[in-house]
Amino acid sequence: MRVIVDRALCDDHGQCEIAAPNVFRIGVDGKLEYDERPDPSERDAIEEAADACPLQAILVQE
Amino acid sequence: MTATQADVPDVPYFDLADPSFDVTSELVHAARDESWYVHTPYGLAVLRYNEVGALLKDRRLRQGSAAWPAHNGIHSGLFTDWWNDVLMNLEGEDHHRIRRLLNPAFSPKVINAMVPQFQALAEELVDAFVDEGRCEFVSQFAEPYSARILCILLGLPESEWQQISTWAVDLGLSLGVTFAQDLDKIHAALEGLYGYCNELIADRRDNPRDDLTTRLVQASRDEDRLTETELAVSLVFLIFAGMDTTRNQLGLALQTFLRHPDQWAKLAERPDLGRAAVEEVMRVNPTITWITREALEPFTFQGLEIEQGQTIQLFSHSAGTDPSAMADTTFDIEGDRASHMGFGGGVHHCLGHFVARTDMSVALPLLARRLRDPRADGPGEWLPMSGNTGPVRFPITFTPGA
Ligand code: HEM
Ligand code: SF4
Repeated sequence: MRVIVDRALCDDHGQCEIAAPNVFRIGVDGKLEYDERPDPSERDAIEEAADACPLQAILVQE
Repeated sequence: MTATQADVPDVPYFDLADPSFDVTSELVHAARDESWYVHTPYGLAVLRYNEVGALLKDRRLRQGSAAWPAHNGIHSGLFTDWWNDVLMNLEGEDHHRIRRLLNPAFSPKVINAMVPQFQALAEELVDAFVDEGRCEFVSQFAEPYSARILCILLGLPESEWQQISTWAVDLGLSLGVTFAQDLDKIHAALEGLYGYCNELIADRRDNPRDDLTTRLVQASRDEDRLTETELAVSLVFLIFAGMDTTRNQLGLALQTFLRHPDQWAKLAERPDLGRAAVEEVMRVNPTITWITREALEPFTFQGLEIEQGQTIQLFSHSAGTDPSAMADTTFDIEGDRASHMGFGGGVHHCLGHFVARTDMSVALPLLARRLRDPRADGPGEWLPMSGNTGPVRFPITFTPGA
């Protein structure tokens, strides 16, 4: 599984971090950081993050 | 906490407590050219796009509405108990936990499936008055549309929308300047809504359905669930947060298009521009004109020292029309504009934005097609152009369209 965030869309709201805190986090600079190759056990949380992102900027690839 | 003009001579002062203060006025635009912030009786007000965007998401600030009852001298009772527990006023893990449990019921997949119902509702409402060539837009469209959308979403009988709407309007008095005087009415509405929502929750536990209430009753994550109290608090808050906002934003959308008749005509021909129309309206004419934050700790921002407890009002209209952030600020549903702040931002970004974006992007092109060449029919009645704004009464005439 690979996670891709469209940086052109992402507005650093951090809703993804709320949904999947082990994969996404807002850094001290206020910018999104994330794990591109997360553990498969995070799948459901990542789907929720992708749904919750206000900009719909998160893509999950197999 | 509040500085006066005398303390800080170089930074303008806006009297936000004055009901005639207009957040869209030249005064605000001129101040925005001078300074990224101003002083007000309700704390600092931030005017520019970049600073509003940054502070909306800055985690050294909390959502600033929690202190509202206390600012009005109200320290206990049913309203404060409810207000302290609603999602918007929770912070940190307490907030994130509830948000995680509520989120899936608001996913785009769930909301997109409701589009045919939103369309049918909009057509039905317009059918009832279109042949007359005139209507009072708030009571004949914006209010029943937003209230019945909430009914569709929560799975309530649409015939009960008026009762729900009356409670929501009364509860909404809590945001106004007469909050303390209206407290009895507000408490009665809150009791009404609690009773209604508790029955609803009990019913969906026994008779699950394909609706948001059932989804929330069944919501679970990592073995965690919403308690009975959390469910009731949340349902009441969804009605509160979703109804007046959508009604007001639809009225403001029509107001904007009345000033831009060519774009209304274009929207009628191009329903695919519905989404863009919603975004563009919310950039230039947002219903929530200040979004409030409060500093959790002292810090320095753009050279300004912010004290702990400092209230900060983020001006969404001023930010959305800031010429330093976009080359062209004129209203254009086909333009390429910076994203707006009408749904707030950061961890408190509006939970219901997919619902609101979807229902308004259904309604606007449909209205443009059926209400041709709309014109104001008298001045109507409007909330102050500040705080949470919009029309109370908005009579219009138009040429009926197919
Ligand atoms: C045009 C309609 C709407 C507008 C303009 C609007 C605007 C907003 C704004 C400005 C906030 C505060 C964000 C912040 O502090 O950064 C907010 C929060 C919220 N809204 Fe909306 N809203 C609308 C519709 C809805 C609907 C339809 C619902 C639910 C059915 C809803 C539910 C909520 C909730 C639950 C919150 C609190 C979120 C949190 O604190 O995590 N809203 N909304
Ligand atoms: S929720 Fe979306 S916009 Fe916000 S930080 Fe995550 S990816 Fe970016």
